[in-house]
Amino acid sequence: MTAPPVQQAAAITTFGLGRSYGSGPTRIDALADVSVEFGQGRFTAIMGPSGSGKSTLLHCLAGLDRPTSGQVLLGDVDLTRLDEKALTHLRRDRIGFVFQAFNLVPTLTALENITLPLDLANRKPDQAWLDVVVQTVGLKDRLHHKPAELSGGQQQRVACARALVSRPHVVFADEPTGNLDSRASADVLGFLHRSVREFGQTVVMVTHDPTAAAYADRVLFLADGRLHEELADPTAESVLDTMKRLDSSSAQAG
Amino acid sequence: MLKLGFRSVLAHRLRFVLCTVAVLLGIGFVSGAMVFSDTLSAALKKNFAAATADITVTPLSPLSGTPNRPPTLSSDVANRIAAVPGVAATDGQLLVPDIEILAKDGRPIDTYSLATFGASWPHDDRTAPFKLVAGSAPWGTEQLTLDRNTADREGYELGQKVKVVTPVRAVTATLTGFTTPGRSGTSAGAPLVSFDGASAQLLLLGEPGWTSIAVALQPGQNPDAVSRAIQTAIGDTVQVRTAAQVSADGESALDDTFGGLTAALLLFAGLALFVGTFLIVNTFAMVVAQRSRELALLRAVGASRGQVTRTVLAEALVIGVVGSTLGLLLGIGVAGLIQYLYQRLDLAIPSATLQVSAATIIASYVLGVGITAAAAYPAARRAGKLPPVVALRADTTVPERSLLVRILLGGFLLLMAVLMFLIALTANGLPAAILVGLATALILLGLVMTLPVLSRYAVRALMSPLGRQAPIVLGRRNAERNPRRTAATASALMISLALVSGLVTIAASAKASVDRGIADAIGTSELVVTGDGGRPFSTAVGDRLANVPGISAVHRVRQSAGEVGDQRVTLAGVSDRTLDGPITVEVTNGELGSLAQGQVALPRNLANQLELAVGKTFDLTTTTGKHRLTVGAIIEPNHQLDAVVTSLPRFTELGGGQIDATLYLEVADGTDLATARQAVLGAIQDYPSVAVRDQQAYAAAERGPINGVLGVVGALLGFAVLIALLGIVNTLALGVVERTREIGLLRAIGMDRPQLRRMLQVEAVAIAVFGAVLGLLVGVLAGVAVQHVMVDDGLSVLDVPVLQLVGAVVIAAAVGVLAAIWPSQRAARLDVLRAIATE
Ligand SMILES: Nc1ncnc2c1ncn2[C@@H]1O[C@H](COP(=O)(O)OP(=O)(O)OP(=O)(O)O)[C@@H](O)[C@H]1O
Ligand SMILES: [Mg+2]
Repeated sequence: MTAPPVQQAAAITTFGLGRSYGSGPTRIDALADVSVEFGQGRFTAIMGPSGSGKSTLLHCLAGLDRPTSGQVLLGDVDLTRLDEKALTHLRRDRIGFVFQAFNLVPTLTALENITLPLDLANRKPDQAWLDVVVQTVGLKDRLHHKPAELSGGQQQRVACARALVSRPHVVFADEPTGNLDSRASADVLGFLHRSVREFGQTVVMVTHDPTAAAYADRVLFLADGRLHEELADPTAESVLDTMKRLDSSSAQAG
Repeated sequence: MLKLGFRSVLAHRLRFVLCTVAVLLGIGFVSGAMVFSDTLSAALKKNFAAATADITVTPLSPLSGTPNRPPTLSSDVANRIAAVPGVAATDGQLLVPDIEILAKDGRPIDTYSLATFGASWPHDDRTAPFKLVAGSAPWGTEQLTLDRNTADREGYELGQKVKVVTPVRAVTATLTGFTTPGRSGTSAGAPLVSFDGASAQLLLLGEPGWTSIAVALQPGQNPDAVSRAIQTAIGDTVQVRTAAQVSADGESALDDTFGGLTAALLLFAGLALFVGTFLIVNTFAMVVAQRSRELALLRAVGASRGQVTRTVLAEALVIGVVGSTLGLLLGIGVAGLIQYLYQRLDLAIPSATLQVSAATIIASYVLGVGITAAAAYPAARRAGKLPPVVALRADTTVPERSLLVRILLGGFLLLMAVLMFLIALTANGLPAAILVGLATALILLGLVMTLPVLSRYAVRALMSPLGRQAPIVLGRRNAERNPRRTAATASALMISLALVSGLVTIAASAKASVDRGIADAIGTSELVVTGDGGRPFSTAVGDRLANVPGISAVHRVRQSAGEVGDQRVTLAGVSDRTLDGPITVEVTNGELGSLAQGQVALPRNLANQLELAVGKTFDLTTTTGKHRLTVGAIIEPNHQLDAVVTSLPRFTELGGGQIDATLYLEVADGTDLATARQAVLGAIQDYPSVAVRDQQAYAAAERGPINGVLGVVGALLGFAVLIALLGIVNTLALGVVERTREIGLLRAIGMDRPQLRRMLQVEAVAIAVFGAVLGLLVGVLAGVAVQHVMVDDGLSVLDVPVLQLVGAVVIAAAVGVLAAIWPSQRAARLDVLRAIATE
């Protein structure tokens, strides 16, 4: 396990992060002792078998869930010390989200959905940046449609645009392409990729798909709530190989 | 099926809590009303079971209204009845209402608006309508008895002097005995004074006569046969009833006495059930929409349409049964409370244990379950119609059905309503007012139909002043997104507010009209003398006042009931020189001088109704039969004289009694009004229930009853607002459940709790204000229209109480804010992660 080759400021750092459910004999450690850094302007993928704690990690990083041990530093803010209100405002102002589905508020148009975090913060959108974002996701002619009138891929692109519009510190995506076909997936992933390359956005994405992971700069592998492996500059093949290897080793272990 | 329904209700407790509360409130009032009136009539029947005469003969009044003296029979009639074969004995009896017993401090005793009766002492125990409990029977004008309850309450003991005021005069006599309260008809349970037969005629009636003749039969005689024989012997001027008939009539008369309270409870019940229906309709529509996938799955695995429909109906059944049961218990509690309060008042109302009859139980369950099932039926049917493929589709929501049918039907109803309105406005009087009421009902129905369409635009328009901040836009869109739901919730409020604002407008106009009517009608008379509760009083009052220094003239007005055709009218007798002076009268046609020739004057509105003009003749029926009258003058509608006006001598000829209804006093020049009033009061000290007022005080007293009506309206408003609040809470809470995911998403991307609360508040306020404003518009429109058609019938002045109405809208908005409290707490407590994870 080597340190990232390029030395950059970390967007997020965790120290001994743990999250457990229940107590006593029924206690489940969804995350245990995860210490990791996510570099600024980097695209990181998180992979692992179902139930390995990927979503839990993402939620802890994003201030949606409270770890039971350890720390999460977003820049120099310790998320574990913030109260509910401060966390909410932090999510609004400094974090972007893309979920697997149900990303949009059905009563709002695509454009209103995109600007929602800014509207909640009572901030005016930066028109030039908004144009750039809309241009990039390629939704110019769909901005005034309601989500119900958009395809699944288009909805996910709107969600990506929303995640980016407030120029957040980090964008988190939990299986953003889980419900999409390969073409729509490629659109969404291409967009996330460009946001990192062209705008220097930091992106952390959970995925099951090796092809999706290949868009990232770096892949973290989780198993049983622990950090197991890490792969830099992944390709679909190298990701697949690593997955196979982990799978057989855990099979041996089991 | 019931088991499935029960499980489902349990599993979705929250969704059904408010449905159950709605049913509970409605049924609570229904059963409360029924239990209360059953209990009362059971108590009174207990009294009735005691002896009444075998046969009772009463004079058959040609009138259904109340004349100012009770119709009587002469002793001669009693003698003729005694001669009928099978009759053992007859006993003339006198029972006269409008008596006042004075307490020791000289004030009339408080009877809580029950009449006090005066009676003659019965000769024959078998037919006595009341019995001696202690002491001895009264004899002569110096002795009387009181019923035990009244005497105890007022602390009167045997041998003490008691003052009573009868329509004829004020009497002071020694208390010689205690009796039971009266047993027959409206006198049952009421305070009772009695004198021996001859003294009663003198003191209560002022002339000989009996109000009824009690007949005892020889043993073994058939009451029906003998009563027919009596009828044949006396003719059709009397009513002959057997004991059974008397009891039945008496009970229904009693029901009338307490019918007001029962009716008020039923009014509340109706409102609660009606408004609650909207709530139930909404809940089931939402629940079915949310569970469409699950229900479609049932269809997919082989359940028939009917079975799915019945699954949903089974839930309604469970709610109906639970709500009715709790409502029944609540009703029994309410009835118990009312009974307790009545007993606390120390009224002589006979009491019985609370009566929960089978009819009450059946009615509660039939109504509760029936209304719930009926309200749930549309949703249940829709559930049955869900195609099984819905189970397999990703989008769980079923598209809204088209609103076209509703628009067409609602539009048609509105059109009809407008037509009816226009027709009503061309007519006048009570029929037109009723037509306005019907048109208003149609408008409300039409609006309920078309409200989903309206709501979209109306909500936007109403909420636009609030700005475009994200929580406000979201809240508004939520109110717009299910037009049917918003509309149904707002409908409940609309109907309640229409009712209330219509009544408030009419009441305010009535008050203003009374003020203006009195100001216009009372001329030079500076003091007005009336009896408590509009009861007529002895002519002795007027006689004494004529001699009071400082009073230059006393003008009398007497009133009695009459009928023209089948229309009831008031007959008024006025003393000479009363019109056009003490009472201002504007003559439209004819001459007031004609009254002296025995002709009559009619207000224009009455003349129009009866289609009469100066010079025409008509037949007036009074207690003494039909009289042909000639119209001598038509006058402008007059607040003090909404009657067929005659001179005093003519009034007496027509059968009116020697009792005054109102005296108008003119104060001599140079005498101060207050001094004059004191002198007047001093002269009639022994008539404490006779009030002497100046114009302002008189107007205020006349407005009094309207304030009472307004009080009831206020209670109604409070209650309607409460239920509407429940409806809004329900809609919001169900919305929160339904939109768990969406709320999770909003929280995840940074909506804080105050913003979440604001979002729900805006939705609630949008619904509340929408319903309130529409209701207000309809109500005021109806109120104004009623005033317009009743302009000659007591509502001469229009007064729209703008301030109160604006207040109502503000209250509605506040209610919206209140309604959002609980749902937004729930929403704020939602765990963001779980909300996102919810399927
Ligand atoms: N609220 C909870 N209560 C108890 N256990 C939980 C809870 N949430 C998650 N877990 C457990 O924590 C572990 C990690 O869950 P997590 O959702 O992070 O997995 P994941 O890697 O995202 O899986 P998937 O790929 O299926 O989304 C699992 O074993 C899960 O059962
Ligand atoms: Mg997951």
